[in-house]
Amino acid sequence: MFAFGIAAMAPALIISRMVSPRKRSNPVKFLPMECGQVPSGEGRTHFMMQYYPYILMFVVFDVMAIFLYAWGSALLELPKSATLPMMGFLAIMFGAMAFALYQSGRRRIW
Amino acid sequence: MSAIAPKFKLSEFIKSLLDNIFWIVLLVSLIGIPAIQVILFYIEMPVINGELLTPFLAMTWLADPSRSLPILKAFMATDMFRVMAFPGFGFAALIAAGTIFVERKMLAKLQLRVGPFYCGKIEGILQLMGDGLKLISKEIIIPAKADKPIFWAAPVIFVATAAAFVALIPVAPGWVVADVDLGLLGVFAVIGFFPIITILSAWSANSKFPFIGGIRALFQMVSFEIPLILSLLGVVILTGTLNLSEIAASQSSFPWIIFLPVGAIVFFITMLAELERIPFDLPEAESEIVAGWLTEFSGMMYGLVQLGTYLKLYAFAGLFVVLFLGGWNGPMVVPPFPEEILTDGIVMGPITAKFPGLPLFDQQMLNGTLWFVLKTVGVIFFILLPRGVFPRIRIDMLLSLGWTKLIGLAFVNIFIALGLLYAGVLGPGGLQ
Repeated sequence: MFAFGIAAMAPALIISRMVSPRKRSNPVKFLPMECGQVPSGEGRTHFMMQYYPYILMFVVFDVMAIFLYAWGSALLELPKSATLPMMGFLAIMFGAMAFALYQSGRRRIW
Repeated sequence: MSAIAPKFKLSEFIKSLLDNIFWIVLLVSLIGIPAIQVILFYIEMPVINGELLTPFLAMTWLADPSRSLPILKAFMATDMFRVMAFPGFGFAALIAAGTIFVERKMLAKLQLRVGPFYCGKIEGILQLMGDGLKLISKEIIIPAKADKPIFWAAPVIFVATAAAFVALIPVAPGWVVADVDLGLLGVFAVIGFFPIITILSAWSANSKFPFIGGIRALFQMVSFEIPLILSLLGVVILTGTLNLSEIAASQSSFPWIIFLPVGAIVFFITMLAELERIPFDLPEAESEIVAGWLTEFSGMMYGLVQLGTYLKLYAFAGLFVVLFLGGWNGPMVVPPFPEEILTDGIVMGPITAKFPGLPLFDQQMLNGTLWFVLKTVGVIFFILLPRGVFPRIRIDMLLSLGWTKLIGLAFVNIFIALGLLYAGVLGPGGLQ
């Protein structure tokens, strides 16, 4: 399906390139969009990512959330006593997430 | 006089038409027919009615309607048909096109406008086709400093990834392109690719507005991925499988939304965020950052990104239906195929035509598709509705919503599912 998507959509761009007019070029036409002004500075600037801690949290908790699926899909076959350590895992995950959220809220240490 | 073609001459028009026809005939006869022969030489043809189907037999059978139905059925059983037409690309693109039209008309009615009106005479029904022609005939302008290969590839990869997402959605019993055992994990894997494509295209454009929009998209998709993953865990706990077809089949008596409404609400909100729709359309906020990460796309590249967006919308709505609303399950409303056509054939006056190979689709599949499409259209309606109702929210509100409230509600949902399981309401010994 991915391959079919590429195979079906690439011709659309090629046909468009063949059909569309390509005339009267000037250097202003190929400038990056900046609402009509002549752009100043680089396009890829240093951009302050104010919410950087959330990305760090994602790296950790996304993997932990996926781990839960290994448990969730096998839960019906597991004995009931196996749920207790999983509750401990959830508690650790929840506590760690709350602590990380608290830390990410303290803007002045970032 | 018209200003579109001031130097129009009929003779030159006819000459150009004849030129085009000449080149088409030449290319088809020199390249097309040998290519078809080579492909047919390497493809394994199916055996129909005890005869190996050769290209010659296929041509003769296609002329006889009573013998062409088995060929059609054999074609419909292939993966090619599934990928291109029914549960795959063609079906999804059709629903996506309908969604675009309904969205424009509905939004216009909500805002006391008329929306598309002139194209196609009846309520602007051909507006989408007109827009497609416009987009394909517009010049593609790429910024001079852009990273050209990645910038060209980004829209195509976006559509292809959305198509890969569509491939995992089961439409009717047995009708799914990729029936994998770890279907839900596959969905998460495919969803994880969208922020990467977004940030790639934003970075390669080498412009300021796409850059800001791409970073916003990254934040948004990343912070809503965890509540999305956690909100679906309840369904997996109750069904004990990750296969989407089995999850849909497990809801034959009741949909999971009855028992897990919290998870359904959390999943719906995260769905809006992953689709970048209002109130979470920060990555392409028109009034703040022009068009966000789509700013530098022009012509057909923009059209492809729009197509990919709506394919993704259909896939998310289909996922919601499969997980929470019971998928294809519903009362049987499609009438059975009339028996007398099978036994006697179609009688029209003196002529009697017999068609071996009927019915083309069985009743289960038609009914399942009908219910799936009805539910999906309903979910798509509720996805479209907030666009006319809500304002856009700030990015810090978005992040705190995703990271505190929705994750908390997703945990509540997990404990509801566990409670239902251990109280004996659901699962072995319970209702199911």
